[in-house]
Amino acid sequence: METRTRYFLLNLIIVIALVVAILATPEDVLAQSDREPPLIAPDVEPQPVEQALVDSENFEIAAVVGWLNIEDFGSSMMYGGRLTYHISESFFVEGGVGFAEAEETSFERLAGDVQLLPDDDRDYSWYHLNLGYRFLPGEAFFPGGYVFNTNFYVTAGAGSTDFAGDNRFTVNYGAGYQMLFTDSISAHLNVRQHLFDSDILGEDKTFVNTEVSAAISVFF
Amino acid sequence: MGRSSLARKGMLVLCCLLWSLPLRAGMLDWLWASGDEPVTVVVTAPFVEWRTGPAIGYPVFHASEKGEWLTLLKQKTRWIKVRDSRDREGWVLQDDLAMGTLTADGQVAVPPRPDRDDFSNRSGEAVAMMGDFEGAAAISAAASWQFTRNLAIEFQASQVLGSRSEIRLANLSIQHQPFPGWRLSPYLTMGGGYAWNSPKATLAQTERRENPTAHIGLGLRYYVADRYFVRAEVRDYKVFTDRTTNEEVTEWKLGLGIFF
Repeated sequence: METRTRYFLLNLIIVIALVVAILATPEDVLAQSDREPPLIAPDVEPQPVEQALVDSENFEIAAVVGWLNIEDFGSSMMYGGRLTYHISESFFVEGGVGFAEAEETSFERLAGDVQLLPDDDRDYSWYHLNLGYRFLPGEAFFPGGYVFNTNFYVTAGAGSTDFAGDNRFTVNYGAGYQMLFTDSISAHLNVRQHLFDSDILGEDKTFVNTEVSAAISVFF
Repeated sequence: MGRSSLARKGMLVLCCLLWSLPLRAGMLDWLWASGDEPVTVVVTAPFVEWRTGPAIGYPVFHASEKGEWLTLLKQKTRWIKVRDSRDREGWVLQDDLAMGTLTADGQVAVPPRPDRDDFSNRSGEAVAMMGDFEGAAAISAAASWQFTRNLAIEFQASQVLGSRSEIRLANLSIQHQPFPGWRLSPYLTMGGGYAWNSPKATLAQTERRENPTAHIGLGLRYYVADRYFVRAEVRDYKVFTDRTTNEEVTEWKLGLGIFF
């Protein structure tokens, strides 16, 4: 009797041990023993695509200096900044600001002691959001073995001009030429037209203001 | 038995930690060594073409054969600047490097260009839009965070330049797109914000107003290529005034967006 009980207990312990061992084994080990090995093992392992390790330079920040011709208010120096994001090798989006100060109108100069606008309202500033297209990429060769990449671009967009105490919806378009001295530093030459409607001089009319400017830009 | 299974589980946990260690070490490496140590890859395609500049219009002046090692220097849009063992430098198409090169440990170092799947799984976007706000020109800039594939939170700042007044709007909205996988994906938007209204200086009336607003809207996104898409939107604004009636304004806009 005693041996039979002992035998039963031993069996029970072995069964429990087996069950626990199976339960405690990781599932994939069980699955692997079930599966037969493939007849032809693939010698190419799938390659995971890693995070881009290359530093990308798709943003460009520029400092702009030039002349702005404000219709009826003479020509004056302007300065500004532009931030560009290159979405492809051809297309870019650009946000920019500019500042200038309007001169006297010919009426004010001739009439002598008359002022059409208070001094504060002569401050001319604007912002714009543009879409641009670069074309004709090329290389400029200089004596001494220097080669610089160049391209032309056209750009157009809209924004707002703050002049004579008001903000006015402003459309702008223009063209430019860019020369890259290194991959990260470049120079621009730029001509743009800025158009807005205003009634500063009595009746509503479209102001067409021309900007001629140069810029130095850095890619980052 | 219990002790043994506990030990086994313990080992399993330890193995998991050890397994993930190279991953973490790799991440740290990536954080610290970014820019310091350029990646080198070996050409596995028959050849890759080099151009003198980062655009398709620049001439091909060289090609690297299979087995040559290239150092990846920097990237501009879909072009990567490479240097070979003889210190020559040129620009190679990103897709050529993604398909035709591997690192020393057999990894793909250059991911392919973003495509529609990346657009569907974007985490955010930046958009510039222009359009019409009840007869006046409207300019908007918006940034959004896509926190699920369907839902996004967006902040939008607008300037409305009319002939009689200027309105500035700041809005926070929640967006739902029911079909994120579609190329032309519609969405619904609703939210609220503030409107600041200032009359033109040449007009006699100079009362500035500030009102809370609420809006609902409907829009469409169309994935174009690479990292950009076109977006169109119609919004119906309710401006809560302190006068007897509230104002209702319809706005429509069209714009260009970049996703991240």
